[in-house]
Amino acid sequence: MKGGKGWIPLAAIALSIGILPWLRELTGFPASYLVLLSAVLFWTAQATSWNILSGYSGYFSFGQGAFYGVGVYALAVLVGRHGQSWWLGLLLGGVAGLVLALVIGTIAFRLRSLRGEIFALLTLAIPFILSAIARVTDSIDGGQGIILPVPEYPDFFGPFQQFIFWLSGAVAVLALVIAYGMVETRYGWALFAIHDDEAVAEGLGVPTFRHKMIAIAANGLIAGLSGAVSALQVGFISPEGTFNLRVPLFVIVMSVLGGRLFWAGPAVGALYVVTLQNRLAGGFEGWSLIILGAVLVLLVLFAPEGIMARFVRRPWTIVAVAAGVLAALALYGEWGDPVSWFALALGSAAVVALLPAGTIAGRRTASPSSRLGSALADPGEPETSSPGIGKTLVEAGEVTRRFGGIHALRGVSMRLSEGELVGLVGPNGSGKTTLVNLLSGALRPTSGSITVDGVDIVDMAPHQIVHQGIARTYQIPRPFNSLTVKDNVVVAIMFGREPRGLAASRQAAAEYLALVGLSDLGDVRPGGINLHERQLLEMARAMATRPRILLLDEALAGLNPVEIDNAVAVVRRIHRSGVSIVLVEHLLRVVNQLATRIVVLDQGRLLAEGDPATVMQNPAVVSAYLGSEAHARRD
Amino acid sequence: MKRRMKAGSAAMALALVVFACGDTAADTTTTTAAPAGTTTVAAETTAAPPETTAAPSGEPIVVGSTLSLTGAFGPTGVIHQIAGELFVDRLNEEGGLLGQPVEWDLRDDESVTDNVATLYEQLIGQDGVDLIIGPYATPNILAAMPIAERHGYVMPQHTAVLAPTLTYPCQFPAWSIGFEPNAFIPNQLADAMDSLGGAVETVALVTNQSGSAAFVTFGRPDVEEPAAQTIFPERGYEVVANIPYPPGNTEWDAIAAEVRQADPDLLMVNGLGVDANGLIEAMLALDGYRPPMIFALFPAPGPLLALGSSSGIEVLSVSIFEPNEAILADMEPSVTEIVDEFAERATAAGVPYTVFETQAAASWNAWEILVQGVEGAGSLDHQAICDYLHESGADLTFAGPVEFDESVNNFWDTNLGIKQIQDGDWVMVWPAERAAAELRGPSS
Amino acid sequence: MNVLQAGLAGALGGSLFALMALGLSLTWGFLKVINLAHFGLILLGSYLTFELATSTPLGPLNTLLVTIPVLCVLGAAIHLAYERFEVSELSSLLVSYGLLIILVQVVHNIWSADFRRMDASVNPYATRSISLGDLSFPLPTLLAAGFGLVLVVLVGTIINRTYAGRALRAFGQDREIASAFGIDHRLIGVVLAGVAGATAAIAGMLFALRGTITPDAAFEWVGLVFAIVILGGIGNVAGTFYAGLLVGAVSGVVASFWTPSHSPLVVFSMVVLALVFRPEGLFPRRAGRH
Repeated sequence: MKGGKGWIPLAAIALSIGILPWLRELTGFPASYLVLLSAVLFWTAQATSWNILSGYSGYFSFGQGAFYGVGVYALAVLVGRHGQSWWLGLLLGGVAGLVLALVIGTIAFRLRSLRGEIFALLTLAIPFILSAIARVTDSIDGGQGIILPVPEYPDFFGPFQQFIFWLSGAVAVLALVIAYGMVETRYGWALFAIHDDEAVAEGLGVPTFRHKMIAIAANGLIAGLSGAVSALQVGFISPEGTFNLRVPLFVIVMSVLGGRLFWAGPAVGALYVVTLQNRLAGGFEGWSLIILGAVLVLLVLFAPEGIMARFVRRPWTIVAVAAGVLAALALYGEWGDPVSWFALALGSAAVVALLPAGTIAGRRTASPSSRLGSALADPGEPETSSPGIGKTLVEAGEVTRRFGGIHALRGVSMRLSEGELVGLVGPNGSGKTTLVNLLSGALRPTSGSITVDGVDIVDMAPHQIVHQGIARTYQIPRPFNSLTVKDNVVVAIMFGREPRGLAASRQAAAEYLALVGLSDLGDVRPGGINLHERQLLEMARAMATRPRILLLDEALAGLNPVEIDNAVAVVRRIHRSGVSIVLVEHLLRVVNQLATRIVVLDQGRLLAEGDPATVMQNPAVVSAYLGSEAHARRD
Repeated sequence: MKRRMKAGSAAMALALVVFACGDTAADTTTTTAAPAGTTTVAAETTAAPPETTAAPSGEPIVVGSTLSLTGAFGPTGVIHQIAGELFVDRLNEEGGLLGQPVEWDLRDDESVTDNVATLYEQLIGQDGVDLIIGPYATPNILAAMPIAERHGYVMPQHTAVLAPTLTYPCQFPAWSIGFEPNAFIPNQLADAMDSLGGAVETVALVTNQSGSAAFVTFGRPDVEEPAAQTIFPERGYEVVANIPYPPGNTEWDAIAAEVRQADPDLLMVNGLGVDANGLIEAMLALDGYRPPMIFALFPAPGPLLALGSSSGIEVLSVSIFEPNEAILADMEPSVTEIVDEFAERATAAGVPYTVFETQAAASWNAWEILVQGVEGAGSLDHQAICDYLHESGADLTFAGPVEFDESVNNFWDTNLGIKQIQDGDWVMVWPAERAAAELRGPSS
Repeated sequence: MNVLQAGLAGALGGSLFALMALGLSLTWGFLKVINLAHFGLILLGSYLTFELATSTPLGPLNTLLVTIPVLCVLGAAIHLAYERFEVSELSSLLVSYGLLIILVQVVHNIWSADFRRMDASVNPYATRSISLGDLSFPLPTLLAAGFGLVLVVLVGTIINRTYAGRALRAFGQDREIASAFGIDHRLIGVVLAGVAGATAAIAGMLFALRGTITPDAAFEWVGLVFAIVILGGIGNVAGTFYAGLLVGAVSGVVASFWTPSHSPLVVFSMVVLALVFRPEGLFPRRAGRH
């Protein structure tokens, strides 16, 4: 998913597409190769646009055929039926794809119950509907198809195939630029975060709805444009030829084969699949689909993460092998034609890429002792006293939350002031986590009010609440698993209360890793660190949003005594830095040690509140706590 | 990171260079040897009996084409494949073309229209085939034609129905369905019905909404023109139902119920493949309902014949050739040979319906047009071939002498007729002068 | 009257598609595998039925004696391969698409691309019907509805009433927890995939019984079958059957009121509306006994 110097190959691709036709005249490069290349470019645009939505954000779409199809029909109707010019058709093709994408996005992404699966099925149905509409509407198609005349285009473009090549190339480059640009900016990172855990992304300040809309819009726009170009090329348009399973299935096949997590992955997949199909078209009668199917099965089974993922491990070896094969065949010159040589070179590159490699980079593990030491002993830090209590920051008034018939919270009022560290305690099921969810916006109260610094946040989306200065952690850590520890923090900085760009965020990330003592593990993926470290990562990520209030939901659950001490030190450090904290915790020892004030919930009601010593003496608290604990043990 | 991106660029640059340089080598290799992956038909002919005319010699002439060997059009594609292979083999046995052997480079377009254009571009541009022949099915032909036009290749084609849209002067229809099939077919059917002396008064139209079939029922959507739905009323037949359905339809029960409700004297199924089968079976399942007369436009002949024979329904359809004995008797003996050899090869290929009929005859016509054009022009120059065909026409085994008039998109006078299932066989019944038997009216 | 006939006949026709959908829904819901190869198995079932019925004296219905075991084993074997390679839900879509095109090509190579059809002497069912007043019910789809009903009751009972069924549901909801409770997911998965293969055999036989078959038919089923799986609720056995009847009836009525070309428009709009308003399927499962 990472970018870097992607502009080099991008510029090279754009340049080659631009000059190829002149090069062709100079070298006698046969025009028919433009057909093959145009096909690669068409599928590059389609698969890349699909991947921006489905690969980056994880919202799997079966509806590529819908975006492609409206692009095809927009141009076909405008040019074939109304005799308008081709460029107007292209424009309308892109707009049609875009509009359809926005409509689908607005409906699908607004659904509260939307899961990835539902989205996938929803998009599956759309092409069937569009196909039927085209068929029964005489002014669109009427069922007989539309024949397009060869368009009149400026002589500058040369032969028709060259014209199509350039158009396909322009759309493919546009797709790749958007796909690469996203990787290098907040837009892509928001999608990667959504891909891994949408709720967490929203809770770190990512406006998830907006970014999903941007992704689907990019998908629709590019697919529509590319569809319009292909309509010009094919020349005969019919509903059954347009809205079938080919486009939706092939973009998935190409993206997965190439590598969904890489901006160039779908393009690589397109190159492979188109070349393979080209070589299978003649002379394999009765076997072509068997070979294609077998290659697909084997690649998915043995390289599920795609060719790009293997390529990056040993790029020069692979390029050298491919170049060697290509050069050898070209020099020998007795066998096949250049396309066969190229296909064989691609094939050998794939074989080398698929050979088992050594250990995967980026998963190094530090020794356990060195890991913990950093956070515990931080000699440079002065032992300052707790910050003083200031003005009220959060005020919850008569907050009630019901789930069906069950009251999780009944009219709870509480406030949190600057500099406070409130311990929120109570037996299981007393409503602690519900309160955290209400404060962070993950849930909405059934009734009651919540304000932050005087601003009502009840109707705000979680990411807006983050921007008001509330951040949270999860009881069971929910890191973005496909990003490194450092990049987890980077996402939070980029979308926090004081948003920054990618480069600036990368620089700033070290500060937050140091705060929790994870500096040594920045390049490790969350799968490679232990529970304690993941909980520290939760805190680092929450702090990276630059909150004024931090909600820690049982951040110490499941830790051993040494780890608890370490975590307590981190919490204290965060508190001293001036952040108010709500600490939900079972371990009364810890709460007593840290909290400036304690709030006790029982059965959804506020039972008691005050300074730790007083509250813990309260008979009602003792009875509720011990009684229910005793009850729980009997169970 | 930087490393791998540079590697990518380097690979691409290299690929470009090799492609550019490789081209010169390619030019020589493709002409001296058959391109990789060619279906080499010529190879089989080395075992040809010695008594035939001088064996063809020299470099083979390569004819390129696609057919839908798999996918939706596959069932008919295989018939065109067998017919074409038979033609090429016989041609090579008889001395080849211009004294050279002929090779057919056949590719599978998988019934996907988009593939057709790409494959023809490759055949002509990349592999440099000498001649081409059209693919099967109207949409595929429409996709291939612009490529042929761009390269100036002569393209005989078997089956395109949308005659008015085939404007390339060097495309030559081999199954001439008339310049206005939308008017011709309904009128011919109405003529036949007229001959039944009032037995048929009402018509139900059931139409597959895909290019060719819908054209016959409705005409083109944006043009006012005669078609079945207007011609039947003009000819005094009442249209009691007019039902379109989507291509790939599998649910016939509702349509069957509609037709039974309308109870027409003639049911015209303007469908493809086994559409008519599905509808007839669904109607029979409604208490054995059957309209007195049924006409099916472009059916798969085998399954419909089997259904018609077993259920005793005398279905009508279009045809340009049926190997009925009465018809074969009037033709050269070579026709019987062709018909028999086709049946042998079809059986060997595992095809269930082995009769050499309309589709195969159309294929044969297309090959003959191509071969006669080349022989007439005496060269492989496409303009010369095209000019020769316009000037001199062709003499076709299954259609007699034909002429190509550019003003009607080369659609020669149609020899389309109507066939009927009679006693377990398809039999030509209309027009009377080319019929092998008399049209049977509704049995009451 | 006519609308009623179209709707009823359509509903019966829908039950055939429900049978096709059943196996897909089962493996999707419980094993988290979107098995497109299921369409290939159904196709194979059709052709095996055709072949056995025309070349042996078995008769089309009795071919199930052969096709059920064959496809049962094949379905289970494919699932074992998915298990062996730990194929994810997404990967299963691609792998099974690869298997589907291989199966289609194999069928194509054995039986040619041309249409195949059981002769009336072999298959007397295609054009028979049972009448009730003015209404007629075609025998092949009536059989489909009958088989569908039996399968729904049978599979439904297994899933809702037996230990294996409960284990299966637990497994469908959370693999790891189910495994922690000692549920042998491998065995259960193989059995379920085998059952799905058996339903493919039945669906294939009924499709061959209705009329003509081509290798390409497998691709034409995909849309309607997916619509039924979604409307019925993924993994919901009875829901799938009801959804099949509903989709068929709606298609029939729409075809009768407007034209058959409008049917997909209405059916797939229904799918979208159902997903928006009833994402768990139109026929939510009753809470099972635990």
